[in-house]
Amino acid sequence: MRSPSAPAILACVLLAGLAACGRQADLVVYCSLDREHSERILALFEERTGLKVEGQFDVERNKTVGMVNRIIAERDRPRADVYWNNEIAQTIRLKDLGLTQPYFSESARGIPEDFRDPDHHWTGFAARARVILYRVDLLPAGTRPPQRLDDLADPAFAKSGAMAQPLTGTTLTHFTVLSEQRGAAAVLDWLERAKAAGLSFGGGNADVMRRVCEGDFVWCLTDTDDAAVARRNGNPVATLHLDQEAGGAGTLLIPNTVCMIAGARHPDAARKFLDFVLSPEVEALLAASRSEQVPLHPGVVTPPEVGLPDRDFRAMKVDWPAAAALLKDRAEAFAEVFVR
Amino acid sequence: MRLRAASPGAPSLRYGAAWSACGLLAVLAVAWLPLLPTLPALLSFGGLSELAEPRLRALFLRTAAFAAGSALIASLVGAPLGLIAARVRMRGAEVLELLLPLPLLLPPLLIAQSWHGLTGMDGMSSALFCLGLCYAPLPALLVARALARQGIGAHQAAVLAGGRRLALAEMARCAAPAAVLGGALAFLFTLTDFAVADYFGAVGEKFTVYSFEVFTHWRESDYRGGARAAAPLVALAGAVLFFTLLWGDRDVGGGGASRPPRLGLGRGNWIAGGLGIALIAMVLVVPLGRVLYETGMRGPVGEGAWLARSGAAFRDAAQRGGPDLGRSIVTGLMAGALAMVLAPVPAHLLARMRPGAARSLLGVAIALPLLAPAVGYGLGAILVFNRDLFGNFYESRLLPAVVLAGRYTPLAVFLLAERLRALPRSGEQAAALAGISQPAVLWRQRLAAQRPAWLLAGGLVLVFAIRELDLAVLLPGANRSAAVRYYNALHFARDNFVAAFGAMIAAVLFLPLALQAAVRGLRPATETA
Repeated sequence: MRSPSAPAILACVLLAGLAACGRQADLVVYCSLDREHSERILALFEERTGLKVEGQFDVERNKTVGMVNRIIAERDRPRADVYWNNEIAQTIRLKDLGLTQPYFSESARGIPEDFRDPDHHWTGFAARARVILYRVDLLPAGTRPPQRLDDLADPAFAKSGAMAQPLTGTTLTHFTVLSEQRGAAAVLDWLERAKAAGLSFGGGNADVMRRVCEGDFVWCLTDTDDAAVARRNGNPVATLHLDQEAGGAGTLLIPNTVCMIAGARHPDAARKFLDFVLSPEVEALLAASRSEQVPLHPGVVTPPEVGLPDRDFRAMKVDWPAAAALLKDRAEAFAEVFVR
Repeated sequence: MRLRAASPGAPSLRYGAAWSACGLLAVLAVAWLPLLPTLPALLSFGGLSELAEPRLRALFLRTAAFAAGSALIASLVGAPLGLIAARVRMRGAEVLELLLPLPLLLPPLLIAQSWHGLTGMDGMSSALFCLGLCYAPLPALLVARALARQGIGAHQAAVLAGGRRLALAEMARCAAPAAVLGGALAFLFTLTDFAVADYFGAVGEKFTVYSFEVFTHWRESDYRGGARAAAPLVALAGAVLFFTLLWGDRDVGGGGASRPPRLGLGRGNWIAGGLGIALIAMVLVVPLGRVLYETGMRGPVGEGAWLARSGAAFRDAAQRGGPDLGRSIVTGLMAGALAMVLAPVPAHLLARMRPGAARSLLGVAIALPLLAPAVGYGLGAILVFNRDLFGNFYESRLLPAVVLAGRYTPLAVFLLAERLRALPRSGEQAAALAGISQPAVLWRQRLAAQRPAWLLAGGLVLVFAIRELDLAVLLPGANRSAAVRYYNALHFARDNFVAAFGAMIAAVLFLPLALQAAVRGLRPATETA
């Protein structure tokens, strides 16, 4: 048998490539929220509008910054119409880089102003709370998990707990917010004290959640979506909101954010999508999903497991633009502490 | 193009230089284009000078030591495994040999998670152990290959002169360069691995590796900064590869056309058999077994017994992940096919060049896309191809095929070069004297003689293309892939879906080797010594 020639193979490749091409998308959405949860929202939008949506998804392993990197690398010829981020700081960074454009969606009315950009470049919705996840069966009788953030650095609690290194994702955002509120030096000192007290630092929120489920730790600081998965997978766990005492700072809520990309090729479809995704209906769907996102619209019907701000806990007040401005600087400072 | 006739023994580079250069340029054009935006920073001394900072220097040195430890484990596990599989006379040795490459096809993180799930192991030593196991097939395969080509005369002389002990010593001498080469390759792969170290360093004994430092720069979208930070890793990897290729050129007196006989070890056969089974269990059976077990573990999917839960998990995986796996296979097939077109010319060139520094340097240049960080390579591809000049190509399914082929063709080139080098020159020289063009000789004679290896080279690129995560996230046409789906689900839990989908991906990754084995046929048991 003769070997196939190079042109024959190339022709096959081209044919396969052409065969693999489908209908062009009417809307391109870059999405950092886990595909498991966002995909069904995109499908519902397709069903409602008849528009074909091309969803592009990120993964936790690269700390969900793949889409941000792509938007920046594609800045001269944008391919995304909408960016749906699972947090807020990187979205503000895109705005500061001039890569977003304003759009005020009527659906955003009712979302607290703290979670909306005054220039309408981005809007927050469906948040995650930073909570303590703990094993109810491993907690020694008569003891409680940490109630305040400062308890995490207390040797009495630290040795049995873990949190993600504040190098990426919501933990970086959390400790950047704390740096903005308490001062950079105070937070670095807190981290050093926590390390010295025996607190374990993991690669990510999901990592520490899994280690709690496996019984390696009694408690961890994580996000409500990770905590929800731990509970839904049948583990004997419960959650607790931090700093709820009188005068306490409250629990940090980190919203999903959505923005329209500057130079979007399908602006009308992008606006329709923003109207859809910012609606109370989508917040209700995300609250009912495995990730149990916390709705920001008032009056959204949620499952009983989903704690709501002002009803079940007090949320922390945050100056998001000020915190986002510190993000890069704090990431470098925290890397000095942890990447060594 | 016609060949000029060459006198026997004359260096092949004298003829066909033009088309060889064209073929090489085509490969470099495809493979190096995504590197161009970061190349100056990647090859700059700026990154190296940053090692003057004590924190980075300590991190870099520890990472190098970590990679060396992994290479040592890989060689200690892989070399005896390769020897037992290739040359010890025992029942089932052929099956053992067939299984050798399979662990290499599994994502290292999958193996790491399996071992963690089984033992709860953590920390740097666990990461070392797992990475050593992941890359043990490299020395195992190379040792098996070297021993399959050991001269029959030398083997028989050793048996006659000193019995089994001397024969084993002769085998060890013959296999040593291959074991070192395999260890060096394990070093290279470990050096750039981030996921396994990140996983085991997550909680418990704290440690991190230099590739995380590189990653923090990509995170800031500073692609030149990322490339600058990666420069020391690339320089070290390039240097190791250069000396490894030089070492690999050593002639150890092998090269027999037929395979030497397997060696009977008497009662030692039981020990060798047990050791072989134990080693293959560690690198393949245990991790895969754990994954299969997890498909039916208690969880949110399925009710009833393990079997019912496992069945439900596989149905869920097929429904949710099937289309993504299909797209990954198509992309991988296109990348593999492209690599089959691109690889033969540089492989032929490498096979025909005189051993020495020039050939090793060319090898390093060809391997550069593989040595560069995947995130940088992907960002480079965006910067190069996201232009009006390329029209819709940027968003098409062809782009990932081209970029993945560019990144992984070096693997195909090295594999094919090694096989082409083993072919006798006589046929090629006769064809040249008959006036047959060199492309025709390469495509119709030499590749035809090594068709299984050529297919395997394409299959290898297919497998690595399916496994690739970083490029799949960054390239539009590759985003809806099995790798992205798998890692996305993994974020939440190692639940039944993740296990079942992982098992499905593993089955697909094993397919090219299974097909290659079917083409080649299982080798019959060889005669006894």
